[in-house]
Amino acid sequence: MKKHLLPLVLLVCGNLVAQTTPQLGIRDKSSQCMALTNARITISPELAYDTATIVIKDGIVVDVGPDVQVPPDASVIDLNGKWIYPGFIDAFTEYGISTRDGDGDRHRQDRIPVYEGNRAGATAWNDAIHSETDWVAFFEPSERDSKEWMKLGFTTVQSGKRDGVLRGRSFVALLGEGLPNDLVLNASGSRGISFERGHSRQWYPGSQMGAIALLRQTFLDTDWYLAARAAFEKNAHQKMPEFNRSIEALADFRSERFLFEANDELEIPRAYTIASEFGLSLTAVGTGSEYARIKEIGELEPTLILPVNYPDKPEISTMDDDLDVSLGGLRHWERAPSNAAVLEENNITFAFTTQALEKRSAFLGKVREAIKRGLSQKTALAALTTVPAQICEVEHLTGTLEKGKIANFFVCEGNIFEEEQTLYSTWIAGKKTEFEPLEQTDFRGTYDLSFMDHKLKLDLAGELGKPRGSIKLDTTEIELKNVSAEFDKLHFAADLDTLDIEGLTRFTGRLKDDALYGRGITARLGEFDWSAIPAEPEEEEDESDSTEAEADSTQAEEADDEETSDDEDQPEELISRLTYPNIAFGYETVPPQEVVLVKNATIWTSEDVGIIENCDMLVMNGKIAEVGPGLNPPSNARVIDATGKHLTPGIIDEHSHTGISGDVNECTHAITAEVRIGDVINPDNINFYRALAGGTTMMRSLHGSCNPIGGQAQILKARWGMSAEDMKFKPAPPSIKFALGENVKLEFFDNDQRRRYPLSRMGVESIIRDVFNAAREYETAWEVYNNLGRREKERTIPPRRDLQLEALVEVLNSRMFVTCHSYVQSEMLMLMRLAEDFGFKVGTFTHVLEGYKIADEMAAHGAAAGSAPDWWAYKFEVYDAIPHNPCILMDRGVVTSINSDSPELGRRLNQGAAKSVMYCGMAPEDALKMVTINPAIQLKADQWVGSIKEGKDADFVIWNGNPLSMYSRPDQTWVDGRKFFDVERDRQMRLEIEDERSRLIQKVLGGDKNGNKEPKKKRRGGPHETGRKSLGSVFISTEGGAHEIR
Amino acid sequence: MKSAKLAAALFLLCSSILAHDYVPADEQDHPILLVGGNLFTVSGDVLNGTDLLFDNGIITQIGRDLVAPPRCEIIDVTGKNVYPGLIAPVTSLGLIEIGAVRATNDRHEMGRMTPEVKAHTAYNPDSEIIPTIRANGVTTVQVAPDGRLIYGRSCILNLDGWTVEDAAIKLVDAMHMDWPRASVVRAWWESRSAEEQRRDMRQNLDAIKQVFEDARTFAKARALDPTTPLDLRLDALVPVVKGEIPLFVGANDCRQIEQAVLFCKEQGIRMVLVGGREAWKVTDLLKENSTPVIYGSMLSLPMRQDYAYDVPFKVPKVLKDAGVQFCIAVFSATGVRNLPFNTGQAVAYGLDHADALRAVTLSTAEILGIDDQQGSLEIGKKATLIVSEGDILDYLGHRVTTMFIDGRAVDLDSKHKELNRKYRAKRVR
Repeated sequence: MKKHLLPLVLLVCGNLVAQTTPQLGIRDKSSQCMALTNARITISPELAYDTATIVIKDGIVVDVGPDVQVPPDASVIDLNGKWIYPGFIDAFTEYGISTRDGDGDRHRQDRIPVYEGNRAGATAWNDAIHSETDWVAFFEPSERDSKEWMKLGFTTVQSGKRDGVLRGRSFVALLGEGLPNDLVLNASGSRGISFERGHSRQWYPGSQMGAIALLRQTFLDTDWYLAARAAFEKNAHQKMPEFNRSIEALADFRSERFLFEANDELEIPRAYTIASEFGLSLTAVGTGSEYARIKEIGELEPTLILPVNYPDKPEISTMDDDLDVSLGGLRHWERAPSNAAVLEENNITFAFTTQALEKRSAFLGKVREAIKRGLSQKTALAALTTVPAQICEVEHLTGTLEKGKIANFFVCEGNIFEEEQTLYSTWIAGKKTEFEPLEQTDFRGTYDLSFMDHKLKLDLAGELGKPRGSIKLDTTEIELKNVSAEFDKLHFAADLDTLDIEGLTRFTGRLKDDALYGRGITARLGEFDWSAIPAEPEEEEDESDSTEAEADSTQAEEADDEETSDDEDQPEELISRLTYPNIAFGYETVPPQEVVLVKNATIWTSEDVGIIENCDMLVMNGKIAEVGPGLNPPSNARVIDATGKHLTPGIIDEHSHTGISGDVNECTHAITAEVRIGDVINPDNINFYRALAGGTTMMRSLHGSCNPIGGQAQILKARWGMSAEDMKFKPAPPSIKFALGENVKLEFFDNDQRRRYPLSRMGVESIIRDVFNAAREYETAWEVYNNLGRREKERTIPPRRDLQLEALVEVLNSRMFVTCHSYVQSEMLMLMRLAEDFGFKVGTFTHVLEGYKIADEMAAHGAAAGSAPDWWAYKFEVYDAIPHNPCILMDRGVVTSINSDSPELGRRLNQGAAKSVMYCGMAPEDALKMVTINPAIQLKADQWVGSIKEGKDADFVIWNGNPLSMYSRPDQTWVDGRKFFDVERDRQMRLEIEDERSRLIQKVLGGDKNGNKEPKKKRRGGPHETGRKSLGSVFISTEGGAHEIR
Repeated sequence: MKSAKLAAALFLLCSSILAHDYVPADEQDHPILLVGGNLFTVSGDVLNGTDLLFDNGIITQIGRDLVAPPRCEIIDVTGKNVYPGLIAPVTSLGLIEIGAVRATNDRHEMGRMTPEVKAHTAYNPDSEIIPTIRANGVTTVQVAPDGRLIYGRSCILNLDGWTVEDAAIKLVDAMHMDWPRASVVRAWWESRSAEEQRRDMRQNLDAIKQVFEDARTFAKARALDPTTPLDLRLDALVPVVKGEIPLFVGANDCRQIEQAVLFCKEQGIRMVLVGGREAWKVTDLLKENSTPVIYGSMLSLPMRQDYAYDVPFKVPKVLKDAGVQFCIAVFSATGVRNLPFNTGQAVAYGLDHADALRAVTLSTAEILGIDDQQGSLEIGKKATLIVSEGDILDYLGHRVTTMFIDGRAVDLDSKHKELNRKYRAKRVR
């Protein structure tokens, strides 16, 4: 960082003319010294003086404090008790950038795929990478835009376009007019990052996981590039490495600062994961909902930039509108202003930004709202000064008003954090921009006006500094024209026809001892003297209606006062509960791990022992401790009498897409082995809870089926309420999604959109074969390189680390396992033979609808089958699907599971398994194995889960009847010895949710702060809306008991 | 063992001769007596160990120890369950073969309002899907078009026929439409503001009102002057505004349902609610207006994030308790074979088994207006019935062994069973 150069600029010349500019005309050597006295000066969040003087010269603070000597050459302004704050800093803006590139819709995607980027200027392959851009090169100060910030007390901003995954480098500059040369404080500001492609027309990355993969690969490419260039410099007799300006610009990425813009609170931990992988110094721009995942975010010890765009009041003016509002939405509306206070409480460092506000002018009001919710003024000030100064790496220049810093500050009427204040002026590098004059004469009042023997009433009203008024003669009222105030001088004109004075008569006077004295001029009668002496109050003059209006408004004010007085004394009490996740059915705390003894259950073990009646199971430390009859409970055990109930292992779903942020597919390139579902797990998805309510405890979350080689999968346990990281099941080896058939040959693209290889099943084989060959060669290349001596290595361009090929090398070496979307027999045979050629086995064919046609071949190869239960005929390749598929596969020795590919079926997999009992007479215990131990085997997780066996994870379900019957449902679902679903608790939660919803709605409507009082606003309702049933009244009273099976 | 193999081979040979077409049955030409079954009459009690006699396609006797008339075929169904054939309303059977293959999809016509189209004109009785539906106990279906606003007209068919005319119970039975959206979407992909959306909703409602009023005007004009030019679309709506055929209105959101019910009341239109995911919220209104509900979301995720996980499962129970007439449906083609199991889910969540069974037989027949012929085991009704080894609503019991449609013994084979046999016989060489 070249920090030392810039303060010199300002020291030498306060007049903001770049030194290198030739001098034209006479040099200005007038004094640039100024003293502002009698001010309440806040130096920094830690220090403020009640009465102090600040001396500024050449744009910097030369002295400040209570006992400061005013230099003789200083011009002095007596601030008379006004407040001075250090200038605010907004570290996340797009201010003053001259190019229009990167404006407009950020979510556009061309209908026709674009696979190649614009490579003009030797840039990165992907147009979502703008690292070669230094936004300072486009800096064009804008007086008009500046003022938006300056009116709020801002003096400094960091600026860069919010476009792309890697966004180019921001700069830090002073606001206001001037040459960019004089305003730039730090040309090497933060580099932007996001998980969004932005304006790039290229389709890749089409998903959040794709964006993350692109980031990873780009940082790896940077390391490779530098090493390659260095080796090439030593030894030019090898293939010349490419020149790449975008990558070269990233050469120092480990010592630079990155600014990540999040779209929700879940993205922040994801960004910090990347940052820690590559040693990036990261600041994250939040979204204002960080409180909802405060623990995970706090553990990152992040620096955040917070917007204050709290959600608008939910629009629920009619009862109809209630339906479109979720509890999560209502909660966020109530809680968003508390976000900053929660972060402060958790010792998280943060700055505020005006970014994301629809109207920037609302900013200070929003900050004051945060303060009302408990944010300290000191932290608020730090969030606007010292913290953003550090983020912008200009803390040695600005952010406080200590001696030697740039004279960036603003003058206002009082404490800006308590209530709205008149902001008089904002000073940037000692240069004042005035918004309101410091002193203004108040002319307002009623006067007895006398001139030329006339006695009239003069009424002056309107705003301070902008008076208006009228002259009254008996009942005639003459509106004043051209009223203007200038210091203590007042000008106005009036049409005095009623006094037989022709034309417009003009008046000019000064206020002295509350009276006005001056001269006037008429059109014909010449000049005259006039005076206006304050009138005695006359009650009879009040018109009756205005009195009423006044009385009304007074009452209303009193009423308001009553309501607000409580709020002012103590922070507002919140109605909404905070749960994890923070939506309906979230848990306030994660269920504890318990010691449990289940007595007298019919236990479906999914082991060779089969189904055991009247059996007990003991759970300790999250594991199954013992299974057998007549077990004695430890003293601390919860004992569950399961007489008449059935107990099964937790249901496992081999094929799920629940809880993925962004697109499930990186539906762009044919091979995207580099993307990872594990990067984008969304633990807030309500379908995890619904899965638990259906007995499902584990799922493999898969990439979609858009490309022959998709992304890496992630196994999850439905640990509802935990973080994304804690939901991951980590002991099992990784797996990856492949796909064959109609989807990958772009059957569902339009003809003109089919612009990539492969477009036939033949091509699918070829491209997979090609990339596995590449992976082999890649592995060999690394072996060769790694075997070189140290000196040889320095002279040899290393192989480029390639995340895609790395994943495929893992597949080749059977350390990562394939689950392959597949339908017809030909394609499955193809993949098995291809895998055999490369020496690995296909793990699982998922969907596998024609598996029954090649069951023997699958068994011989060792592939498992994850079958859909009975879908067919929705496209041509599933026209031969039959519901007997699982039976034939099982009979021929293929490890077969029933999977869901759907959050709806994923919560009823027991029923999916039962279909095989019905269609093809499978033994019930085998059918249940298809949703317990068999998928566990497919996930290579069977040593931990999938059956009721001592030592395995305590993932189990207690059913109210035979788990394969349509009439049974789970009473309880346990994961790791924690009860994550309980039918009774669920019933209780419904009541709580309904109550909370209704109280929040009352609060939105303006009832009292606890949501109890009748709202002020009466709501419109249709004729039948009042007849609508509430969830609680209908679904809690309904007892869904098991019914006799006939 | 050898003979078993031979039998299997012979069977294969036969089935390959029959391949693709499962031959429609001949007319019933002799009386048939089902002996000793558990008769789920639906209209009355379950009669255990009871006989049922039918002739010429009509149920003629029900009782214990019935005497077999001459030439009578006797089928022992002791211990088995006998049910009226299941009825599936609002399906796309025979209109769609393979969803993604446009050539096989005849369910949508162009335009927002296509009341003139008739589903039966495109029905394919040789659809491979049909036998798979029959195999699970469904004997009768309503086949309806889909579309954007006003879809067109449906027919009611039995699932055994050489042609659509042969299969028809009613060639035109109802008009189908979708009620326009009544919710304001605030997702990023919705470019219209809340106000614009509300304006569009009002315009949609106005357009619907207008078209029905146009139909009335048209009917009047034609009555006065038969030479009034014939507008096919308005002409198709005339029986609806006259109350001769019902209007099946697709609506799930309670606001849509309210709008639709009040609209049909005002217009004097006989409405049947199709969908009804939030019908539980407005049961008073539905009951007051005697609006029947065809509930089609048994196995779906809750409609709103805040709704409990089992709300879709409990809707039938709520409708039943509130006294709203309802039946259960699967709005699809291939999925119709799951109709009995979807209904079983309602039993798991509180509905009485008898009410659940009624919701796929007699209630459906009533709503479709064919309860004079079907829907229950009663003397005088059609001998459209099924025999199952166990409880038809549960996977653990459901084994349909026999089906009669109008007394004709229906082939329960299907492409699926055929492929199953074929590949069970496969040996790796």
